[in-house]
Amino acid sequence: MVLLKIENLTAGVAQKEIIKNFSLTINAGEVHAIMGPNGAGKSTLSYVLAGKSDYEVTSGKAWLNGQDLLQMKPEERANAGLFLSMQYPVAIPGVSVSNFLKHAVNAKRKYAGLPELDAAEFLKLLRSAAKELGISAEMLKREINVGFSGGEKKRMEILQMSLLKPQLAILDEADSGLDIDALRVVAEGVNKLRTADNALLIITHHNDLLDLIKPDFVHIYADGHIVRSGDANLALELEQSGYKSFLEEV
Amino acid sequence: MVEDNHNITLWGEDIPWLFGLREKGRQTTKAIGLPNAKTEAWKYSHFAPTILDTYHIDTTPHHCDENCHCHDEKASTPFAAYYIKFCNGKLANEHFDLPAGVTIKSLVEAIFDGDAKAYLGKSFDLEKFPFAALNTAYLEQGVMLTVERGTVLDRPILLHYHQHYGTPQINHLRNIFVLENRSKATIIEYFTAESNAEYFNNLVNEIYVREAAQLQHYVWQNEAVAARHVALTSVEVRKDGTYNCFCAQSECVLARHESYIRLQQEGAAAEVNGVYRLMHSGVSDITTNIAHLAPHTVSNQLVKGVVGGAAKGVFQGQIHIAPDAQQTEGYQLHRALILSDDAEVDAKPELEIFADDVKCSHGNTCGDLDAEQLFYMQSRGIDLETAKQLLIEAHINEAFEKINDNNVKTWLKKNF
Amino acid sequence: MAKQAKILEELANEKYKYGFITDIEADTVPLGLNEDIIRLISTKKNEPQWLLEWRLKAYRHWLTMTEPHWAKLNFEPVDFQALRYYAAPKQKVRPKNLNEVDPSLLETYNKLGIPLKEQEALAGVVAVDAVFDSVSVATTYRAKLKEQGIIFCSISEAIKEHPDLVQKYLGSVVPYTDNFYACLNSAVFTDGSFVFIPKGVRCPMELSTYFRINAKGTGQFERTLIIAEDDSYVSYLEGCTAPQRDENQLHAAIVEIVVLNNAEVKYSTVQNWYPGDENGKGGVYNFVTKRAACRGANSKISWTQVETGSAITWKYPSCVLQGDNSIGEFYSVAITHHHQQADTGTKMIHLGRNTRSKIISKGISAGYSNQTYRGLVDVAKQANGARNYSQCDSLLIGSTCGSHTVPYVRNRNKSAILEHEATTSKISDEQLFYCQQRGIGAEEAVGLIVSGFCKEVMQNLPMEFAIEAAKLINISLEGSVG
Repeated sequence: MVLLKIENLTAGVAQKEIIKNFSLTINAGEVHAIMGPNGAGKSTLSYVLAGKSDYEVTSGKAWLNGQDLLQMKPEERANAGLFLSMQYPVAIPGVSVSNFLKHAVNAKRKYAGLPELDAAEFLKLLRSAAKELGISAEMLKREINVGFSGGEKKRMEILQMSLLKPQLAILDEADSGLDIDALRVVAEGVNKLRTADNALLIITHHNDLLDLIKPDFVHIYADGHIVRSGDANLALELEQSGYKSFLEEV
Repeated sequence: MVEDNHNITLWGEDIPWLFGLREKGRQTTKAIGLPNAKTEAWKYSHFAPTILDTYHIDTTPHHCDENCHCHDEKASTPFAAYYIKFCNGKLANEHFDLPAGVTIKSLVEAIFDGDAKAYLGKSFDLEKFPFAALNTAYLEQGVMLTVERGTVLDRPILLHYHQHYGTPQINHLRNIFVLENRSKATIIEYFTAESNAEYFNNLVNEIYVREAAQLQHYVWQNEAVAARHVALTSVEVRKDGTYNCFCAQSECVLARHESYIRLQQEGAAAEVNGVYRLMHSGVSDITTNIAHLAPHTVSNQLVKGVVGGAAKGVFQGQIHIAPDAQQTEGYQLHRALILSDDAEVDAKPELEIFADDVKCSHGNTCGDLDAEQLFYMQSRGIDLETAKQLLIEAHINEAFEKINDNNVKTWLKKNF
Repeated sequence: MAKQAKILEELANEKYKYGFITDIEADTVPLGLNEDIIRLISTKKNEPQWLLEWRLKAYRHWLTMTEPHWAKLNFEPVDFQALRYYAAPKQKVRPKNLNEVDPSLLETYNKLGIPLKEQEALAGVVAVDAVFDSVSVATTYRAKLKEQGIIFCSISEAIKEHPDLVQKYLGSVVPYTDNFYACLNSAVFTDGSFVFIPKGVRCPMELSTYFRINAKGTGQFERTLIIAEDDSYVSYLEGCTAPQRDENQLHAAIVEIVVLNNAEVKYSTVQNWYPGDENGKGGVYNFVTKRAACRGANSKISWTQVETGSAITWKYPSCVLQGDNSIGEFYSVAITHHHQQADTGTKMIHLGRNTRSKIISKGISAGYSNQTYRGLVDVAKQANGARNYSQCDSLLIGSTCGSHTVPYVRNRNKSAILEHEATTSKISDEQLFYCQQRGIGAEEAVGLIVSGFCKEVMQNLPMEFAIEAAKLINISLEGSVG
């Protein structure tokens, strides 16, 4: 089943084209990795898919589960099953993790026509999900991402993912700023959430995370689009020869 | 005050526009009077208007004996500079030794040549500044400095104002500094006096920083203990221009440094930093008003003060951000130490913001030296007095670090 | 930003929901103000001679005063002769119990969510005094409170029944000479609440006064006096609404609080006077003088205010910290939208030794509104060990509003430590996007971010009030970006 289909997408920010004629199809149950050098615009791709307002699509199409993704508001995309784990999750002072997530979970339930959870029901759900990821109850009372370490932020993203159960999760540089132990926690968390119905798109510029979450497909991204696709071995090849050889190939 | 001196004859009364400007100064002074307790900008540093009656204007030409400070060019600073000397409120230079691209004229000469007309009294409203209005009524002494387009000065220009006798005298000094596009200059204003001199310096600088020009402006009000010093520096900064000011205030009856800065075009930036240290009975006042009138403008202020004895430190800072001046940044910080039972610190850091995409913050703290820090030093064998001095120095040094010019920094740190 | 604006604009611009008018016959005095009107008010209220004389003294002083203009407020001058200074729902005798209160009044308060029937009134956790136009119409739970010696009644009743207490404290915190509006209030105040907590008593329930302006063209001048004797405690809540009218209504109130040794008073306000319509037409002019004197050692006053209403707000709840070790706190959330203007803040006057004060002010401006935080921290020479911490944060929504911060700091004591911090910012696109990416709609996200911004203040409100206030904040900001 096709989850995400992107066709000839061209997009950018402030009249500068960053994504150029980009195409990709992701089926349920698959793990895709997009690899590319720093500054190639990989994050732009994730922002465009999630609908950040500064980014403008000039041509091309994208569907999530057959729905025209580009016509949807960011929150509709989220509620329709798209989750973006951000490279730099933003802090929202004064808003606790649990309060924030209660709003998010109930927004999704409302969208799906389910009754909203009351405080007690939600807390039960949140606590068990947090426990799975080794996140303390104390942490849930803190203001979201305020004063969090890099590892805490990423773990919080995975917690949100586990509660919102997206069909397609995009992990944008989920490994940045993490030591090896924190990276393992994140990878284990993500692996637990994998099913035959959902899919993962991992955006990264090196291999560390891919050693822990095995991709089915690896795409090399440069100059706004995919320049080569292959299986997990492509990532190893890349590690040995570097981006330069692939870029020269093009 | 104004009435008393009505019979004073100033140069150029026959030049209609100049007469008109002075007349406007007289009328404004008459209308608004001198600041009192209800004058918001002078809330903490106003004084009885009758005090002004004790000073007189000296209309005699520059005269001093050969031992006067003003003849010794090199005495002022340990580093090379282009010198402009004022002696008892009168320009004392007979000539200026200047590199190409820089012109300095006496104010009278600049008026006579027609250079000053486009700048004089054009950068602020007299109604808002009572002492500048008074200054305007009596303007005659001062210089006009022009740095030509693209000129980068190799050494600072030093204006050294020296007062060397004791008849209570008021000096209305008026300067114009124009930095044309992409020029770069450092101007130091250094005020000194014989220790027993009694006088009132009422200074107004009108500064025009044109596109991408850079001005470093250093002021050290090292006046005599019995002196009063009130200065207004009115600055217009155009596109990508930079105005950086550092003001140091030492002990005197009243030292007020007021900056009125308008960041008129995109990319304009300003800094006003300063230190004051008064250990006896004077009032030190740093007042700034920075108006962000265009997008992408930045301002920064750091003022550190120390007051002891019965002295009073005043910091008033207003950051104004106009509608549409988006993506501007304004930061303001005042920290003061109060070291005695009779000292006082008054602060009013003010934000006035009409645009939403801005980053602004201000902070103000005051208090005594930190007892824990003192104890820690004592426990390491440092005696209490030394420990206090170390902490005071550390407190002030943070502001000195804002000085870009290393020569000036070293000179001020050593002598302040 | 454009997107944020659009989504917010799409939101239903919920109208002021307290804007209805109660149709009730009113007993009023003629328009205008002179000594005869004051005498008439005093006669109607059956007041003792000393109070009439005090009113007249205030009135004569008021004639010598002019309206203050230092605030950053712009409004049509008030024609004080075009106002009516007394309006009371017509009833023959003062009701002895709630069953005698005019049913339309009870209905009015029900509509406002303030049930006056005791059995319904939040299961006995809140006692309410309801002030309708110029008079107090009902006070609940009086008997129960009386058992502990607590007096909670209208100030008119207190003047009759506890004249010694009133005479001793009235005007002792806010003298009639204090300022133009306070002076006017002293001359014409009609009703308000009176609270007396005797020595050693902890008031077992929240005391609440609910102010309602109803009659047209009437100024409301209420006066609240709270006295907390040694070792006592009370938490007091105040709520305000007014009908939606095209003309501006004047509200000039005074709150005086006296806090004695070891006593503590918590005063919370949710001010939701009619703010005018989206074009700035109508709305209440709110000129209020609130001041607490911490006279006793170790006494404490805490002001918490959530201000969403009024066309014009001029209000500076203050703390005079006279007693050694006394504590003053000010927590404020002010939200202005459309053409509202607010100039508000606090004064912390440190007179006693080791006095401490804390100011947390959160201002949110939207639409074409303008908001100013104006505060004073003043440390007297003898106030050894005084401490103040002030934090004033402003959030701007949209580019047509203004936000200003004017803190005055005056320190004459070297052992005092004063800290002030202020920031101004907007809701960042990143924060909004993050919420949206998690499925939270833009309007809900703005509400969430704003309530996070206000959290430190909101958590100081009593529970029942906090929920109300949180809702109010969301409603006030709907359609806030234009």
